Amino acid sequence: MINDIRVGALIAYFSVKRGNKKTLMFIVFVLSLIFMNLVFLPSMIGGMTVLFTGMMQDYPYGDIVIEPSGDNTYINNADSVLQKVRAVEGVRAATKRLDAGASIEHKQKVVGATITGLLPTEEYDVSQYPYIISEGDFLGELSRDEIIIGAMIAGTGFGSEIYDNLGEVRPGSLVDVTYSNGVKRTYKVKGIMEGSFELVDLNALVNYKEIEDVYGLEESKATSVVVRVDKQGSEDQVKDKIREAGVNEQIFTWADKSETLIKQAMQSMGAIDTMSKFVSLIVGAALVLIIIYINVLNRKKEIGILKAVGITPRSIVLSYAFLSTFYVSLGIFAGLILYFSLMFYFQVNPVVFYETMEIRPQIDYMLLIESIVTMLTLSVIAGILPAWSVSKESILKAIWSR
Amino acid sequence: MILVKNLKRYYGTGETAVKALKGVSFEIKKGEFVAIMGASGSGKTTLLRILALLDDATEGEYTIRGLEVSSLPEAERSYYRLTQVGYVFQDYALINEMSAAENVYILSMMEGKSRKESYEIALEALDKVGLKEKHNRIPDELSGGEKQRVAIARAIAKKPDILFADEPCANLDTNNSKQVLDVFKELNEKYGQTIVMVTHELWHTEYVDRVITFEDGNLVSDEKKRNR
Ligand SMILES: Nc1ncnc2c1ncn2[C@@H]1O[C@H](COP(=O)(O)OP(=O)(O)OP(=O)(O)O)[C@@H](O)[C@H]1O
Ligand SMILES: [Mg+2]
Repeated sequence: MINDIRVGALIAYFSVKRGNKKTLMFIVFVLSLIFMNLVFLPSMIGGMTVLFTGMMQDYPYGDIVIEPSGDNTYINNADSVLQKVRAVEGVRAATKRLDAGASIEHKQKVVGATITGLLPTEEYDVSQYPYIISEGDFLGELSRDEIIIGAMIAGTGFGSEIYDNLGEVRPGSLVDVTYSNGVKRTYKVKGIMEGSFELVDLNALVNYKEIEDVYGLEESKATSVVVRVDKQGSEDQVKDKIREAGVNEQIFTWADKSETLIKQAMQSMGAIDTMSKFVSLIVGAALVLIIIYINVLNRKKEIGILKAVGITPRSIVLSYAFLSTFYVSLGIFAGLILYFSLMFYFQVNPVVFYETMEIRPQIDYMLLIESIVTMLTLSVIAGILPAWSVSKESILKAIWSR
Repeated sequence: MILVKNLKRYYGTGETAVKALKGVSFEIKKGEFVAIMGASGSGKTTLLRILALLDDATEGEYTIRGLEVSSLPEAERSYYRLTQVGYVFQDYALINEMSAAENVYILSMMEGKSRKESYEIALEALDKVGLKEKHNRIPDELSGGEKQRVAIARAIAKKPDILFADEPCANLDTNNSKQVLDVFKELNEKYGQTIVMVTHELWHTEYVDRVITFEDGNLVSDEKKRNR
């Protein structure tokens, strides 16, 4: 067996050393494309996921979100929760919010929306809401009878063609809001917010006090307490500390949240991802096999000669396993260079969606390793199978028949 | 040393079968230099391939040193080809991606010898055929006669029991042919190498001890040229 390996390696080495370099380059090129195909699309989808989860952090959920436990509609005594949370080490900022369902009316046009009541001054540290006002201004601490409307329902923003909207609502326009409990209010539009993201642009914002007032709430109720942490990645520890600090409501990290949400929102994407991986793998396997097979067929005579002079079939088969592993390794190497150059390119020039959403592909090292292992395994099989079938042929056939 | 009894080889089966060998018997002694002659299609190559274990007989007995080789399992036949039998192909059958020396030394490597020792064996064999200087050249950089001599070096490096050569001079001019035949003669006379060579040329028989002639799958004459 040692001799077989030695001789197999030697044969492979000679055929690389003196073989046609153009053919080698072509094979490596094709293999690198196969590899790229395996890893590129998932990276793009990973980029979209990151973008999506980033949105969730920046707007509805923060890094950690505390929600009412059990069947409760509200967190009772949100101020005491906030107090406990703010005292936890690693928490950068926190605020409370009150969400309410409502319909908004402007010149006979009506749309349904979630209206979030928030404390405007605290939001500067917690979310991006204050920073995405495309027209007009953000709410002030004392804002009453004022509303911020998402661009998609305002009818001015990108994507408003797809959704029901209020026509041309501008800062200064008056809108009538009917809350889920039947209370009606008339608000002056203070600003339009545009985040290029449905979760933001289909909503509206008012002052926290406004919702408290409308629903007659007392003792600082909240539908959520949104927390930002000092250090990205520490969410899980901070979450545990918040619980230890005596907060008995439900606590989620953005990752917990996005798991369920992304599962829904990206389900079709995920299916495409899985399918594309599967198809790439099949196509990749077939191509590797075909390339090596053609290579082996071209050397059928050589295989016959080697057998005729006494080289064991096992060495011959091994030499092809080595050879195709070598090709595939080079292909992976070239593919990695190609991949990282593309990744670098897209970091600098991200793909832009909705004019403002920048997608930067994410490098998933697990997937890279998985793909490398898959390709290498394939290469061994692809090398062995055809060589084995040819080496089983009789010497006469291998050498003298076409 | 070689004993062949009623050897038959049919290609295909039934009515359309080509009867390349119709039952031949002969014996070859150790140290003999034998030429096999006959018209094209008379079965010379077929016989040689069977003797070198590159092909199987349809029927008949074939023993080398009393060992019934035709019934050996493939792994042992492979080992036999590697260590006991040298075969010089009509069309050289060198591996194009290996240099002259590599074409030869890969076999010693296969036998388990070290790389260094294998290389020395290869150089020694190349020296015998007068090609030591060109051991680094690949087949494409050698003339037909040189390629044939590399093929001979490959066949004799292992010091085989028997050396088979199938029209080793078919592609060579007279000069190159003489070189090759001289190598054979020297091997035969100096080292007592047993050689079985297929040839078409009558003048080649000057070099040999014995001429066996085939006709249409049958052995028709067996003539001693000289005694050894
Ligand atoms: N693989 C094969 N399949 C079918 N018939 C074959 C095969 N090889 C040889 N034959 C036939 O067997 C007969 C003997 O062939 P062989 O090659 O032994 O002749 P030869 O004496 O070596 O001829 P040449 O001098 O032309 O080389 C021929 O009729 C040939 O056509
Ligand atoms: Mg012939």
